[in-house]
Amino acid sequence: MIDVSIDQIISLINRMEADGIVERYAIGGAVGATFYLEPVATLDVDIFVAVPQKPGQVLLDLRPIHDYLTARGGVVEGEYIVLAGWPVQFLPPTSPLVEEALADAVTVDVDGTPARVFTAEHLAAVALQTGRAKDKARLLQFVEAGVLKAERFQAILVLHGLVDRWREFERTFLRTMP
Amino acid sequence: MSFDLQRIIESKREMRRKLAGRPVAEKLAMLDALRDRARTILKAATRRETALLRESQPEYRVNPRKD
Repeated sequence: MIDVSIDQIISLINRMEADGIVERYAIGGAVGATFYLEPVATLDVDIFVAVPQKPGQVLLDLRPIHDYLTARGGVVEGEYIVLAGWPVQFLPPTSPLVEEALADAVTVDVDGTPARVFTAEHLAAVALQTGRAKDKARLLQFVEAGVLKAERFQAILVLHGLVDRWREFERTFLRTMP
Repeated sequence: MSFDLQRIIESKREMRRKLAGRPVAEKLAMLDALRDRARTILKAATRRETALLRESQPEYRVNPRKD
């Protein structure tokens, strides 16, 4: 297996996009959050992808991604493709919020390598929508770090019906924050 | 020994702020290191769990005779 780190995984995904295997990709999850926050230990990389579909095709087919990466040293393990110990999961957008996050993702320069990543506001909104304990912790990090553009974040919450969920989050976690 | 929790919390917050402000490439390299550490801890935790399981009830009590 080839020995790669996250920045090399990003180069590989860039090549995969240039080769037309995916239409567009963006990094989400804990690795995406690291672009805005302090790094937090994670065991996998979440990459959201829009894949080209043939006319009449209803089900998304991730096999071209698997084929492309296994030919370059990746190993398929269940839902993941392991690239030198980093399990990478390719996720098609499953909600309008994630579709929008993928469309609005921004390109960040990582030592000369472009990396497309969800905006901080979309990462925070996806965390709120997903709602597991670790997502709430991540959302708290975003709030505490002060990296969310309030107007943009609010617009996303309104558009995707997350206002009540935000109020609940605010009531539970932010009222006592120093 | 004095124990100023507020000061400790603030110093942790300051450290997180500093880490968040590092260049992205550096933070991604940290993720690589953090993952390696997490995997080592997980392995150790699994080994410990396995050892604990060995101390569970002996088999004869888990599968009582049916006669």
